[in-house]
Amino acid sequence: MDNRSSFLGGPARRDWIVLAVVMALGLLVPSVLNRGLIFIAGLVWINAVFGLSFNLLFGLSGVLSFGQAMFFAAGAYAAAVLTQSLGWPFLPAWIMAAVAGGLLAALVGAVALRRSEGVYFAILTLAFAELMHLLITNTGMLGRNDGLSGLARPVLSLGAARLDLGQGDNFYYFIVVACGAMIALIRFVIGTAFGRALQAVKQDPERAEFLGIPVRLHRLVIFTLAGMMTAAAGALVAPWAQIVTPELAHWSNSTNPILYTLLGGSAYFWGPALGAVLLSAVFYVTRTLVGVSDLVTGLLLLAVVLALPGGVLGLLARWTGGTRGKGKA
Amino acid sequence: MQAADIATLLVNSLTWAMATFLVAAGLTLVFGTLHILNFSHGGFFMIGAYAAFSLAQWVGTSNSIALYLFGSLAAGVLVAGLGLVVDRLVLRRLAGVEDAYILIATYALLLVCEGSTKLVWGLKYHSVMPPAMLDGAWVMGSAVVPRLSLFIIACGLTVFIALEVFLNRTKSGRLVKAIAADPWMAGLLGINVRRVYTATVALGFALAGLAGGLLVSNQALSPSLASAFVIYAFGVIIVGGMGSISGAFFGSILLGLIDAIGQWVLPGLPGLPFFIAMTLILLLRPQGLMGRKH
Repeated sequence: MDNRSSFLGGPARRDWIVLAVVMALGLLVPSVLNRGLIFIAGLVWINAVFGLSFNLLFGLSGVLSFGQAMFFAAGAYAAAVLTQSLGWPFLPAWIMAAVAGGLLAALVGAVALRRSEGVYFAILTLAFAELMHLLITNTGMLGRNDGLSGLARPVLSLGAARLDLGQGDNFYYFIVVACGAMIALIRFVIGTAFGRALQAVKQDPERAEFLGIPVRLHRLVIFTLAGMMTAAAGALVAPWAQIVTPELAHWSNSTNPILYTLLGGSAYFWGPALGAVLLSAVFYVTRTLVGVSDLVTGLLLLAVVLALPGGVLGLLARWTGGTRGKGKA
Repeated sequence: MQAADIATLLVNSLTWAMATFLVAAGLTLVFGTLHILNFSHGGFFMIGAYAAFSLAQWVGTSNSIALYLFGSLAAGVLVAGLGLVVDRLVLRRLAGVEDAYILIATYALLLVCEGSTKLVWGLKYHSVMPPAMLDGAWVMGSAVVPRLSLFIIACGLTVFIALEVFLNRTKSGRLVKAIAADPWMAGLLGINVRRVYTATVALGFALAGLAGGLLVSNQALSPSLASAFVIYAFGVIIVGGMGSISGAFFGSILLGLIDAIGQWVLPGLPGLPFFIAMTLILLLRPQGLMGRKH
């Protein structure tokens, strides 16, 4: 079995099995955990998708964005406005939120990817995200600094069947299924010829261009796709937390997927998902200790960058001497 | 708009510009020499401000500008010491690491700064009164100019001139510039590059701490101080050209004016003109107004 399980090396079948197992475990959560922890588990699923979308850019394509929060917030606000103010049913609103995130990403990417690379691109995306944050805090329709609250959990109606997601833990189950589907889509993209081309772009853009891969277009497409997936994840937060606030667009939220990815291991498909679980655990354990969560997160991240570039999964791979770490998310 | 309004607008934007320049100076110095864009710079600025605050509490309220300046210098020395620790433990190990990872590592340091600040000083807002001589305002005709603003402008100018003189007119300053231009060749010529790097980090961090002390009365102290200032500092060094002290100086004046004028034209959207200008300049002239193309 290969031990350098980069995106290319990881066999797809194993990832599908892991996904199935993790979803099954995820569906069992409500029968073992209390309400507060179920809420956190829902957020972990959403954040895992947030992280995995980010890693489509960072781990797969070698593009560092410090502004992913703008797409997350775009999705959350789009879902909130469409369902609450315009009275749309949830499913079309969810799709529309993803489309809005994709359009925004296409726009930002078209401008930013054309003019900048590396650190400049990172700072440019950060500036765009701050612009969005400022616009949200100054728009009356979006509730300014207070955000939009009192968002209802939706009722799904497919033909004659009606499913009230406000009942019990129904919305949690919906999150598991929706996020599972998004994770599957992300895994699918990585396995396509397009995904492999992006891997080549990351390794050596110049050579990739020479081999006939349109580097800039590929980066734009993956940036758009990542923005779309991020917005779709963000759109789930609106009915789950039942409130959206400008904090979602603040640049500190942009750094969350970076933390998940680096901590879990950016070279591994499941890295960002594992990172989301671990960081949520850190936050949960240290929630009453002011400042400790920042301190622990910062030190963990430093340790990863300086001593453990493969993240936790890289460490597991080293320990097990070949076979990759198994259970996660 | 009357003359008095224009005077107020000018003083306000210059105050903002010099406050931001004080923070950005060390950031751009370290970037220019070591090519490390230090996200945590704002964090160490904040620690400098809190240190000056604690010192002021310990000494008790004072009326002397000398003591205020002494507190700022002490904060600068303390943060320079922290800089030496950070250099030994983190920055040295980043040599040869990809730019993206450097940015992420220094962001991790920012988190460490914020966490430590919350642990040591708590989440509460604090404020420090300026010394009596800097309190209040001068009234010139119908224009009201806060004394603290003039003090900050004077500090910004002093630091700018001191840095320019140091870098261009002294032997050690020219050594820093030589190494920034070509560390390999400087090493061949027998210069101890590593030592100059360490000294530059210490100076950059000292500037962050000094800025914290000088600006401690300019705004309330809270753990969110770091992230607010580091974004502004990023903006001005990008606009001016990363690594250039005069670029940061004129970049902050330009962005301060743009933001002030923008807010006068488009009231109710504070900060928006700043980010629009920053984004446009990044797009149209990524090397900054005074930077070299690379």
